Amino acid sequence: MNYALIALGLTLIFAIMNVLNFAHGQMYVLGGFITYYALQVLNLPFVVGLVASVVVLVLVGLLSERLLFRRAIRVSTREESTMLLAAGLALLLESLILIFFGEKQRGMPPVISGVYQVFGVYIPAGRAFVFAIALASLIGFVTFMQFTRPGRALRAIAQDKEVTALQGVNINRYGALGFALGAGLTGLAGSLLATVFAVNSGLGTAISIKAFIMVMLGGAGVVSGAIAGAFLLGFLESFGYAYIPGSVTYMLIFAGMIIFLVFRPQGIMGKPWG
Amino acid sequence: MALLTVENLEKRFGGLIAVNDISFKVESGEIFTIIGPNGAGKSTLFKLITSFTHPTSGRVIFEGEDITRLPAHVVARKGVVRTFQETTIFKEMTVVENVIVAHHLRSRASSLGIFVNSPKARRDEERFRESANSIIEILGLDAVRNEQARNLPHGYLRELGIAIAMAAEPKALLLDEPFSGMNPEETDRVVDMVRGIRDRGITILLVEHDMRAVMRISDRILVLNFGSMVALGTPPEIQNNESVIEAYLGREDDELGI
Amino acid sequence: MSSGMQGNRGAVQASNYGLWKSLVLPVCLVIYLIVLPAYFAESRYVLRVITTASVLSFISLGVWLTFTIGRINIGQGAFALIGGYTTAILSTKLGVSFWVCLPLSGLVAGLTGIILGLGILRLKGVYFAMITLSLTEAVRLGFLSGGDFTGSAAGISNIPLPDELGLFGITLIPDFGKVDTHIAFYYLGAVLLILGLAVIWRISSSRLGWIFKSLQQDEELSRSVGINVARYRVMAYAICCFYGGIGGAFFTVSQQSIYPSVFGVLDSLFFILYCFLGGLAFVAGPIVGAFLLFILFELLHGLQQYQQLIYSLIMISIMLWLPNGLLSLRLPAASWRSRNIRD
Repeated sequence: MNYALIALGLTLIFAIMNVLNFAHGQMYVLGGFITYYALQVLNLPFVVGLVASVVVLVLVGLLSERLLFRRAIRVSTREESTMLLAAGLALLLESLILIFFGEKQRGMPPVISGVYQVFGVYIPAGRAFVFAIALASLIGFVTFMQFTRPGRALRAIAQDKEVTALQGVNINRYGALGFALGAGLTGLAGSLLATVFAVNSGLGTAISIKAFIMVMLGGAGVVSGAIAGAFLLGFLESFGYAYIPGSVTYMLIFAGMIIFLVFRPQGIMGKPWG
Repeated sequence: MALLTVENLEKRFGGLIAVNDISFKVESGEIFTIIGPNGAGKSTLFKLITSFTHPTSGRVIFEGEDITRLPAHVVARKGVVRTFQETTIFKEMTVVENVIVAHHLRSRASSLGIFVNSPKARRDEERFRESANSIIEILGLDAVRNEQARNLPHGYLRELGIAIAMAAEPKALLLDEPFSGMNPEETDRVVDMVRGIRDRGITILLVEHDMRAVMRISDRILVLNFGSMVALGTPPEIQNNESVIEAYLGREDDELGI
Repeated sequence: MSSGMQGNRGAVQASNYGLWKSLVLPVCLVIYLIVLPAYFAESRYVLRVITTASVLSFISLGVWLTFTIGRINIGQGAFALIGGYTTAILSTKLGVSFWVCLPLSGLVAGLTGIILGLGILRLKGVYFAMITLSLTEAVRLGFLSGGDFTGSAAGISNIPLPDELGLFGITLIPDFGKVDTHIAFYYLGAVLLILGLAVIWRISSSRLGWIFKSLQQDEELSRSVGINVARYRVMAYAICCFYGGIGGAFFTVSQQSIYPSVFGVLDSLFFILYCFLGGLAFVAGPIVGAFLLFILFELLHGLQQYQQLIYSLIMISIMLWLPNGLLSLRLPAASWRSRNIRD
């Protein structure tokens, strides 16, 4: 479920800016750490930590877009530049995280303690809570994209930037919005998941790669694709972990993905690029 | 035997029929033009003939050989070469380099040979250079031969596209809207150029909108509408053909009582 | 040479080229092969830095080639790993001489590249980048899960140094264990880089290079003049992987060990960054980039955590202000001159 949030954030940024946000994983980690800091160090309630994470990440997204990406896109003729810029940003965020939050793995007690019993299965309350919030955010996000004007504008840009620009939509402003939203989603995911699993500074790259897999499998640039990809990956992961050692699972997922993409490069739901 | 035969060609995209049961023959040395309103399927037809896309049914036969399912670059090797509607060129190379690269098909040296600059490779390059020079002269590109293709003034782009196609030594050259956007002078020049190419033994298929040019230059004309054949004949036959007039002018004229 | 192909590009570039060939290049070679090793003979550290930078440049040259066909290849780390493990396994388990392992590593990597390339090269842009990125991870995981065969997480160690290479009783290359290993590896690295550069330079300035460029600019157009696009794409990619494999083999033997995390996503990214910093339009770009950045990296070593921070800031600055690479800074002077000549 949280995977979906991450994937969505990435898809959004990709679709709007045609930028592959390498720093996505690091943004996730940042979200997690901020919440940790708020909760464990400052002893504030979870909600505050959550909101703080989102806000900070939104800011990060805005700043990145405004200061970095907008210029890079303008100045360079190649699309690789933005990718490397994102990679540089990833490195930057990771080093900042290292400096401010240290190397150690940080955990948090679950938000709600106790266990619920649903249909005979025991689910830790903390996880259920996280799931609920994630689901709510997901629904909120999809609603936003489908029904509000900014949401529709973002989708229009994803489909065809030039035409949308001709219709008078301020691409720059929406680019910033898309980025901020994407970053915020990831921060939210990081914040939520940090309460369930722990967070450490080295997690960034792994998360980014997972996000890429989700987006590639599901289809880049399409919201439904990101969700489909997220579910697929989540499913494959749990299935794999149950039977095979962790690293082998992922290797198989990779191999499978490469083969899948050879035959269907646009992923499950993606529009044919080309 | 006809040089190029198109047999019951059909192309569907999902539920949409882009090309519907088209058949015709093109004789060697002809200038054969395909016309029709926008969306009539002309470009799709070109893509089908040159294997840039494959038909849902039907065949394309060139010099007696079924080329329908061959890959695009093999079809080019057989002698069927197309130009592109948006005047596609290699932007980051000079005009001369563009034409030389396009000689690829005439290469006799292997990749390894090219790498070590074997005698064969060197002879290739000699021939290519000479051939490129003569093509450039014929098409009037001599003045700009060392310009970067992306800096070329618009008027030369079309000629460069044709030069590139010519370098591939086509037997059948498919020109996609060569007259589009041209004033009467430029049109005259291109008409002469196309005739010149034909006179060198190359059969020409054209897709075009400019009616005056079409009528002047074509030996035969095929009219398409909504992917289907409307008429096929010589320019005078087509000019007087009722269904052609209707296809172009549509239903409006019924309302006007014409 | 291929002076026929050079054609009339304008007197300026020809004279630049002539200058480069007759003066700058030999001087660089002398410095590289004679002056530096002599001067730093005592300083193992400096020798090692230059050697590493040399081989990193070598590997990046491969990545540069994939740029010329218009693909962003973030998978070179995978092939370095493949080459490295090939050498490691062959030399430790089968006792094969390094001088056989080296080309074999390249071949194995190249062949893997061909097989993979046939499938993935039809993807472009970001999609290709994402897949090659995943490739680096996948290969790493693959070797991690290799059990006893690849040594799992610990990898393979105690890999023997290169042995003697002789022909007809004459020693061409001495046993690395019997001479100053640092100097020996320095020269091995240097030779690899020089040969590697010569090959890539030759490819890119010959008609083969033009074919690759045509693929980068317009694949459809190339197809229409009969260029077998798939074949040439795979060719470029396979050469790139070959370079990766050989580079990996070198590092395996110079560290005398290998483990799955030796080449990771970050390294793959660095190879691309080196190409970028130097300038993608220039064959020497990756070399300039690799040397500069790697030496910088070493200089910053003492700064611990701030090192990564500064590195990232540098990376970002490059992308913002120098997206066409350092070597492109020379061009404004040249184009000014050529404009004057034409007027």
